[in-house]
Amino acid sequence: MLFRVDVAAAEPLADQIAAQVRGGIMRGEVTAGERLPAARELAEVLDVNLHTVLRAYGRLRDEDLIELRRGRGAVVRGDADAARLRLTELAREFVREARRQGLGETEMLEIVKGATP
Amino acid sequence: MRRLWIAAAAVWLPTGVTAGSWVLWSDRLPSRIATHWSGSGPADGFSPATGFWLGALIAGLVAGIAAVVAAAIDDRRIEDPAARVRRTATTRATLILGGSVAGAAAGMWVATAHATLTDPADPRLGWRFGLFLLGLAWGGVIRLIAGPPPRIDVPAAPPVDALDLGPTERAAFSTTLRSPLLLGVLLAATAVMLALAATVQPVLWLACPVPLIAALVSGQVRVTADRRGLRLVAGFAGITVKHIPLERIVRAEAADINPAAWGGWGYRVTPGRSALVLRGGPGLVLDLRDGRRFAVTMPDPRTPAALLNGLRSHTG
Repeated sequence: MLFRVDVAAAEPLADQIAAQVRGGIMRGEVTAGERLPAARELAEVLDVNLHTVLRAYGRLRDEDLIELRRGRGAVVRGDADAARLRLTELAREFVREARRQGLGETEMLEIVKGATP
Repeated sequence: MRRLWIAAAAVWLPTGVTAGSWVLWSDRLPSRIATHWSGSGPADGFSPATGFWLGALIAGLVAGIAAVVAAAIDDRRIEDPAARVRRTATTRATLILGGSVAGAAAGMWVATAHATLTDPADPRLGWRFGLFLLGLAWGGVIRLIAGPPPRIDVPAAPPVDALDLGPTERAAFSTTLRSPLLLGVLLAATAVMLALAATVQPVLWLACPVPLIAALVSGQVRVTADRRGLRLVAGFAGITVKHIPLERIVRAEAADINPAAWGGWGYRVTPGRSALVLRGGPGLVLDLRDGRRFAVTMPDPRTPAALLNGLRSHTG
C-alpha cells in the first residue's frame, strides 16, 4: 500500500498516516495478518518524527484494526472488518461536516435517527 | 572512447618490458634458469630460459590483442544506450583482466630472470615475488585509466505515469508478497531430502539447508519503494536480499511477467537482468543505469512504478 502524506496540510501527520492505513485495509491492499512497515523505518522514509508514526499506529490499535506487539511490529488484525471500517469512515466524514456547520451532538443524533426508516 | 584506447595501449606496457628485458639479458642468462621456489629456500624447479620467456611473452601478446580487439569493438556505433553501457562494461572487464594477465606474466619473467642474473649459483626469489604481485596489480591501474563505468542518463522529462508529488508531500510504498505454493514446494522438498538423508543417503544432510534457505528467503518477501529506492526483504529472516538505490534507476514500469522469459520461478539471474518471480502475471520492472533490468512480480505494480518515477523526477 502507498503511504502519502503532506507535511504542509492542516490535518495532523499522524491522522494522515492512520487514514492511509484505513484506506489500505478498506481497499484490500493490506490484508489480515500482514505486517505494516516498522514505525522506525516508515518514519525514516517519510522523513517524519518516529512518535508521529507511533501515534498513528496507536490510534489504529485503539480502533481494533491492528495489533502492536513487541518484536513483531504492527500486524493487521484478523477481524479487521473492511465493511465496518467503511461505515466508521462515513460517520467520521458526517461528524466533520456537521461540526463545520456548527451542529452539536444531539442534533447529529437526530439527523441519524431521522435518516433511519 | 579515448580512455579505453589509452587503457588498451597500457595493457601492452608489461609485454614491452618482457620483450625489452630479453634484449638486455638474453646473452647473460644460462640456457636453463630457476623457475620455481618453495618458500624462501633454494630453487626446486628449472626450465629452459627461452621457453619460459616465450610463455610469458605469448601470455602478454594474447592479453594485449584481446584488449585492442575489445577497444575496437567498443568504438563501433550502437544506438540502444542500454546495450552500449552493457558492452562497455564487458570491454572494461576485458581490459582489466588483460592488464592483470600481461602484468603478472611480465612480473613472473622479470622476477625469475633477475634472480638467476643476481646469483646464478644459488638463485633466490625473496623480495622479487613482489614483482609478480605488482604485475597482477597492473589491472588496477588499467581500471583507473579506463575511468568509471558509463551510466545511462536519466531522461529530463518524467515518464507519463509518474506520481505527481508536491514539494511538501512525502510518499512510501510497502507490500508483502506471499507465495504459499512456492513455500509448500520448497518445504516438501526439504522434508523429502530429510527423509532420504535419515534412511538411505546420509550425504543429503549437507544439501538439506538449500531448499530450506530458499523457502525462508522467497516464502514471504516484503517489497518497499521509497526515497531510498527499491528494497526486497526476506520476511521470515528479515534479511535484505536486494536493494536498488533510487539513483541507479532510470525508470520504472508495470509489465506482464512471463516466468519462462525471465528464467523461471524464484530469484533468477540471467545475463543483463535479474528478477524475483513468485508467479506469472503483473510485475514491477526497473530499467537501471548500468543497462540491466530488474523485475519483481506483485499484484499491483502500477502504484510503486508511479511512485519510483515520481521520486526519480524529484531527485533527478
